Amino acid sequence: MSFHAPIRAIGEKDLVAPKSSFRSITEAVSRVSETPAPKGWWIAFLTALSFTGVLGLAVGYLFWRGIGVWGNNSPVAWAWDITNFVWWVGIGHAGTLISAVLFLFRQKWRTSINRFAEAMTIFAVICALLFPGIHVGRVWHAYYLFPIPNQMGAWPNFKSPLLWDVFAVSTYFTVSLLFWYVGLIPDFATLRDRAKNATRRFSYGFLALGWRGSNRHWQTYERAYMILAALSTPLVLSVHSVVSFDFATSVEPGWHTTIFPPYFVAGAVFSGFAMVMTLLLIARAVFKLTDLVTMTHIELMNKIMLATGTLVGYAYAMEFFIAWYSGNQYERYVFINRATGPYAWAYWIMITCNVISPQLFWSKRLRTNIPLSFVVSIFINIGMWFERFVIIVTSLHRDFVPSSWGYFHPTLIDIGTYLGSLGLFFTLFLLFLRWVPMIAIAELKSVLPEASPHHGEHQDGASEEHGTPALAAEGN
Amino acid sequence: MTRRKPYEFEGPAPDAAVYWTSLDDYTLQHSDDPAARDHLAPEFLPSALDFSDGVSRRSFMTLMGAAVALGTLEGCRRPVDKIVPYARQPEDVAVNVTSYYATVLDRRGEGLGLLVESHEGRPTKVEGNPDHTASHGKTDLLAQASVLDLYDPDRARRPSEGGVDKTYADFEAALHGALEAHGGNGGTGLRVLAQPSISPTFVRLRQAVLRRFPSARFHTWSAASNSNAREGARLAFGQPALPVYTLERARVVLSLDADLLQTEAGAVRNTRGFAQGRRPGSDMNRLYVVEPTFTTTGATADHRLRLAARDVEGYALALAAELLRTHPAEFAVLPGSVASAHAPEGVPAKWIAAVARDLWTHRGASLIAAGSRQPPSLHVLVHALNQALGNAGETVRYVPAVDADERDSAGDLRDLTQAIGAGQVQTLIVLGGNPAYDAPADLGFAEKLRGIAHSFVLSSHRDETAALAKWHVPLAHDFEVWGDAQSLDGAVAVRQPLISPLFMARSEIEVLGLVANAPSAQGHDLVRETHQAPGVPTVLFDRQWRRALNRGVLVEAATGGPAFTVQAAALAQALTPRTAGAALGSGNLEVNFLVDAKLVDGRHANNAWLQELPDPVTKICWDNAAYLSPATAQALGVTGGDVLRVTKGSRSIEIVAWVLPGQADWSLGLPLGWGRTHAGRVGSHRGFDVNGLRASDALWFVDGVTVAKTGARYALSQTQDHHQMEGRPIAVEATLAEFESTPNFAALRSPSPRTLPLWREVHYDGYRWGMTIDLASCTGCNTCVVACQSENNIPVVGKEQVARGREMHWIRVDRYFVSPRAHGNDRDPEATSDPAVAFQPLACVQCENAPCENVCPVNATVHSPEGLNEMAYNRCIGTRYCANNCPYKVRRFNYLNWHNDSVYQPEDSDVPETVRMQMNPNVTVRFRGVMEKCTYCVQRIQGRKIEANRSNGGHGRRVADGELMTACQQACPADAIVFGDLNDRQSRISQLHQNDRRYALLGELGVKPRTLYLAKVRNPNPEMLG
Repeated sequence: MSFHAPIRAIGEKDLVAPKSSFRSITEAVSRVSETPAPKGWWIAFLTALSFTGVLGLAVGYLFWRGIGVWGNNSPVAWAWDITNFVWWVGIGHAGTLISAVLFLFRQKWRTSINRFAEAMTIFAVICALLFPGIHVGRVWHAYYLFPIPNQMGAWPNFKSPLLWDVFAVSTYFTVSLLFWYVGLIPDFATLRDRAKNATRRFSYGFLALGWRGSNRHWQTYERAYMILAALSTPLVLSVHSVVSFDFATSVEPGWHTTIFPPYFVAGAVFSGFAMVMTLLLIARAVFKLTDLVTMTHIELMNKIMLATGTLVGYAYAMEFFIAWYSGNQYERYVFINRATGPYAWAYWIMITCNVISPQLFWSKRLRTNIPLSFVVSIFINIGMWFERFVIIVTSLHRDFVPSSWGYFHPTLIDIGTYLGSLGLFFTLFLLFLRWVPMIAIAELKSVLPEASPHHGEHQDGASEEHGTPALAAEGN
Repeated sequence: MTRRKPYEFEGPAPDAAVYWTSLDDYTLQHSDDPAARDHLAPEFLPSALDFSDGVSRRSFMTLMGAAVALGTLEGCRRPVDKIVPYARQPEDVAVNVTSYYATVLDRRGEGLGLLVESHEGRPTKVEGNPDHTASHGKTDLLAQASVLDLYDPDRARRPSEGGVDKTYADFEAALHGALEAHGGNGGTGLRVLAQPSISPTFVRLRQAVLRRFPSARFHTWSAASNSNAREGARLAFGQPALPVYTLERARVVLSLDADLLQTEAGAVRNTRGFAQGRRPGSDMNRLYVVEPTFTTTGATADHRLRLAARDVEGYALALAAELLRTHPAEFAVLPGSVASAHAPEGVPAKWIAAVARDLWTHRGASLIAAGSRQPPSLHVLVHALNQALGNAGETVRYVPAVDADERDSAGDLRDLTQAIGAGQVQTLIVLGGNPAYDAPADLGFAEKLRGIAHSFVLSSHRDETAALAKWHVPLAHDFEVWGDAQSLDGAVAVRQPLISPLFMARSEIEVLGLVANAPSAQGHDLVRETHQAPGVPTVLFDRQWRRALNRGVLVEAATGGPAFTVQAAALAQALTPRTAGAALGSGNLEVNFLVDAKLVDGRHANNAWLQELPDPVTKICWDNAAYLSPATAQALGVTGGDVLRVTKGSRSIEIVAWVLPGQADWSLGLPLGWGRTHAGRVGSHRGFDVNGLRASDALWFVDGVTVAKTGARYALSQTQDHHQMEGRPIAVEATLAEFESTPNFAALRSPSPRTLPLWREVHYDGYRWGMTIDLASCTGCNTCVVACQSENNIPVVGKEQVARGREMHWIRVDRYFVSPRAHGNDRDPEATSDPAVAFQPLACVQCENAPCENVCPVNATVHSPEGLNEMAYNRCIGTRYCANNCPYKVRRFNYLNWHNDSVYQPEDSDVPETVRMQMNPNVTVRFRGVMEKCTYCVQRIQGRKIEANRSNGGHGRRVADGELMTACQQACPADAIVFGDLNDRQSRISQLHQNDRRYALLGELGVKPRTLYLAKVRNPNPEMLG
């Protein structure tokens, strides 16, 4: 099947509404930043900004008093902090997956959502990076984590998975940022060209790096984009695998398990898609992008959630099986305790949200139902947060020696920090929606019929029918 | 594919023991009722250096006290440090060289000889005095904690009159004024209220006062006195004496409500002796305990009978009857009326017959001990039984009391209050103690004290009594003043000060010296005068005195001593039959007033270490509670945390309930010493004051009590709550028979990996430190916990933070209840009502393959060449990953700046100046955000290594076995903790690491812990089983 074949010829549907044109796409996307923001944007932005303020206060208080302002204790030395970290890193995954993996697989339907997803990745990873940074007891010494040459000859411990994390996540962030930015260059140029005042012209011009749309530019651009996509693809697997090593390489029952890397990656993709879905459905409604983000996209994403959700469900079941099969009583206890112990509520929220709710998408009627898709995506976001909570807290709270068992109670600061990180994410995201082309203009144009090199070759009265048999034959 | 074979865990055998730690957990494990599970599921720890000349040392102390005070002055700005160098260095004082001085503490009638570690004049750590027979180098937890009492920032700082600060001269003038008034009448109307004393100087000065004021009267009161034991001995032998036990010789011990190993006088010597007799083997001792509330002793027992306190004497009579029936000739001293005694209801027959047979079989090497809570008549009976069993002189000796004139505490205080009520008292001098708080409620002492014209109170704090008195004078801490104390066995030690009084404080004998108008009211002179026998030249006495200060012992323990014979007439009189009271039940409960293992009678209430220390059995800290048995709680509809109103006649108190397995049915345990109102910032309003229910005619237990729920709930903090052992090999144990048939049972139950190591083994060429903890001799007394806290500058976090699970103890003593599955149905109330207990001290086990080390991203926890798992505090950034990956959960994190956000808030947002003086200068004080844990006292290891390297003319030598002790090991009265060099084949530790009972806790993880446990062995009487 040819990459260049019109989509209908390969049995797919239009990826944009039939009446879209180059101009309408440019208009639809660019006008968002060129017209005054709708009132709804302001309400959302100010709300998000105030939550970011809460984050600032919570983190400030944390720095002032110490980790004790959270509910962490002995034995639960990691709780919401690392739960949030893993959750945010996981959310980031969908962005890379959509933009890089689907790009390499020539899944053209990604074009209307990839910008979105990439932005989400960047912001989610920013939120994720926040937590390991602030959760250390002495933040003013956090730089010890980096291999900075010093006269003491003191280096970080390269055996520690936490250090691998530092490198994995920062690499991931760097590559994701570059990838996102490279993709944005032609679109910034579009905005620059449409600018009606000097400030906009200068800002977008600066960001567009002198893009003129020449053939050479496009060739270099495509190559760079391809290379970055190829670089990002292994990162999708590596980052969450490394994050899972934090747990998998330990001796703790419930953590010490080889299934973690694939299980974490599947979970990450799962949660990432759910978050993209949540954001996309909101933006689609608010900015009236129904022409660009069609039911096809929604349905395809729901299918991916169904697949990854089922993978995750399999992993949950396999953990139980292995715990039993291992004959290790500590391992067995941890899993039985998850399902029946003091944290059973968290476990069953996780199962309900992550395993049961995506099963609705076996039905075509349900997976094309927008309100239901939205609700399920929220469920999955919640469920995936609980997955990390269950792994971290329920494993720690009852491990080997029963006398040291405990229970974790979050404090207001825990809650404030978490809600604040959501505030930070949405603040950044809303700024992105307002000032950056939220849909890849240039890429989207490439899936229009007009973008086909053969467009207009056969004006035989069926010009509206892009997928003529002749074209299909030629596609080979 | 791995060829590693999986470990095979056998599930618990059908008749194996079930381990659990609290009733809620037990229910959780066994309940089918989902409602109950839901309700419970979210339910939430040397020898003394040469002594320099006394006078110059005191001057040095004075100078240093001032220097330290200056050095610790601090304002809002950066502290201005003024360092005053030694222009002329005092003799025998070297900076950074630790000195030890011998002194002695009064521990409930036992003089406990101590060596106190001192750094440049600051006492920092208490150790036992190896040359003192009460201690043999060991201590109890209160002695360990006493150094914090010294630095208590809430101590009264100067005398006061009616709450207004005065000078010491003002006080002396006022006292003289008041005494002058009695000059004419020979002291009529002058009363002195003191605590029971074991100080010969006190007794001498009292005679001097009585010579000056013949009509004056002395009264004695202590809420935790040994009056009953003294009175029992006086009745039996015709003279007051106290028994001193030689438990190392006892093969069978029966304790009748006597907490020999924790709260009774002589606990240190008892624990040491008991542990010596506790070596698993053919001559292992056996302990029977009859008591209403679980004590450390009961928890250590092989057989424990929970019995209401009022029935204990009935049990003893039934036992005596059995012995009289089976061996009439030997027990002829018992009156015939005893033969008809019947065991109280609920006592199993085997507890009479089998115990009597065991005692008789081991006559001469058995022991019956009566508790100080039990009436004198029981003591008389016990003295007679011990005599008839041939134990007197073997396992128990009697030593005449220091103060032959001391009278029954409650009666004496009642006389005083009656005299006050009758207006016969114009001047009252209270020397120590806190009667306004702890006097029995029926006496109304506090009210009466207010009405006295001239009242002088000597106490360490401006406490409840001081607040009501006209004059208050700060009482000096024992480490600040001269004194003396006689031990139970007759050894006399001199108390020498370690430091000049921090505040304007005086000792009891100094104030008594003023009253007596002694030629010198200096404590030093008063004590010397007592011990300088007439006719002994001062030159000779000086030599004796110096030797006494050096060794810590002035008069050796009496070995022979006069024979004490029970007088048959006294026995017959004591054993006059009493009518049994109405049966106990929900409308007729018994309450027991318990000497608290931590606060005693409230005197240590402001000691933050003790407040935070978990109770040995309940693991509750920062509070007391009324203990109820599960059956009683069920009958009354009470659950743990309910606030109860406990009523006896017209008096009632409120206190939170705690359901304690092993509590006697229909009997409540009420620990004394809590609910203080004027204790200080740490101790005020902690727990519940139970003195309101105490009457002078029923000081220790009383029936006819009713209980009602108030409807309120109260949150308690525990360091360890709701978990059973889940059939895991954690605290491994066996019976003696099982041990003899399978000596290595523990290693079989807790196996180590059978696979080859992944990496090349590390060889430790120099020292290779290791430890063993013997669970068979550990009594769970918690002394190690306080010793560690004191040695390692471990902060206190407060009740709320303990509830959050953030206590900082580097070593903790885990307590598991054990109920045999053989009880049949798991829901059998017997299983939860009458469990046994297993203790397990747990600190960092110094894994050779430490899981904490490879997860630290910054290399802050690393292995030393000697095999220690070390913490580099400066490098730690606090990711807490190590704590997560520690299978033993012994790592402690500074979640907040505990030293600053301390229990002394809000007045001190910083460590109080005095408390800083306690800090061990050889141990880093950790800041917030840093992980910490046991280091095997690495500062001691390095200190001894440096000493060893410098010795031998500078050529150095290896540290010898026994020369180096960790703080927990040194303090442990049971000698359950042994530490040393595993590379020394001859060392004690090397041999113990080959002991049959050894096992590595969680050894299957392959972490290779350096601390091994020696499994617990119980020695049940085969006749008692089944």
